[in-house]
Amino acid sequence: MSVVAEQTAWYVYGVVESSLASRLEARVVEEGELAAVVDSVSLTVFGEEALEEHLNDRAWLETHARAHQEVLQEISLAGPVVPFRFGTIYHEADDVRGMLRARSSELAAALARVRGRVEIGVKAWAGQAPVQPAAAPSTGRAYLEQRLGAQERARAATAQLAEAARDSHLRLLSRAVEGVANRPQPRELTGRDEAMILNGAYLVADVDPIRHEIEQLATDYGTQGISFELTGPWPPYNFVDEGGDQ
Amino acid sequence: MSVLEGPRLEEQVTLVELVDRVLHKGVTLTGDIVLSVADVDLVYVGLRVILASVSTLERLEAEAAG
Repeated sequence: MSVVAEQTAWYVYGVVESSLASRLEARVVEEGELAAVVDSVSLTVFGEEALEEHLNDRAWLETHARAHQEVLQEISLAGPVVPFRFGTIYHEADDVRGMLRARSSELAAALARVRGRVEIGVKAWAGQAPVQPAAAPSTGRAYLEQRLGAQERARAATAQLAEAARDSHLRLLSRAVEGVANRPQPRELTGRDEAMILNGAYLVADVDPIRHEIEQLATDYGTQGISFELTGPWPPYNFVDEGGDQ
Repeated sequence: MSVLEGPRLEEQVTLVELVDRVLHKGVTLTGDIVLSVADVDLVYVGLRVILASVSTLERLEAEAAG
């Protein structure tokens, strides 16, 4: 125990039921039926100003975002957890208790919503459309027609991908309790040649049916150059925000 | 990197994937709501920096696609 003059605060990872809290190795702050899983953090690192600076540091962000995820992942294996967004920090344990009291009904409802369920991520990727070498146009008119034809094909391809994404999402939804199609991540972030056309998250009680659906989708859409990727199970990040009006 | 031997999920988790969930999802206690509960004792960080950079990239993507 090093008692230093350093100012500390309480970082909240998420909320569980008190009954689960006693079985966790994590540090918790309890209030009634609920418990917040917390860590004591230094305000020199997690204070508002310091944090804003750190968020521009990719390595720092990655380390800490990963730590947040790892803590929640471990808890989610033990029982239902309501993940909090990264960077929710209170000065005093009493403030954490106050939050648990004030939000007890929403948090209890969120716990009920995710109990016995996990989040599965599904991404669909569209490969680059093969570029067909066209014969050099001999006239201005031929050139124009070629250009218009290419634009038309590009439009049709885009519409086809949108339809594939929509159909995939609906089919995945049919295997899930709930689902949400988030905004696909841009290439600049994914660093991949393929375009992400679906960035879905699905809340499921059983992983097998949705896994099977993904295999089926891969078969059905493989000929269009669309591939699917499953991630998770995740803690239910996408299914706990009461303001979830997506 | 990690001291712990990561669960299998970690292998496939990119930073973007993490940001997508850890920073964009989960329960958001926005300043207003919580400030009224905990007075000014909450340090809620809006992560505007990241959100701003992500939305910039999304705009670029939209322009590229459009």
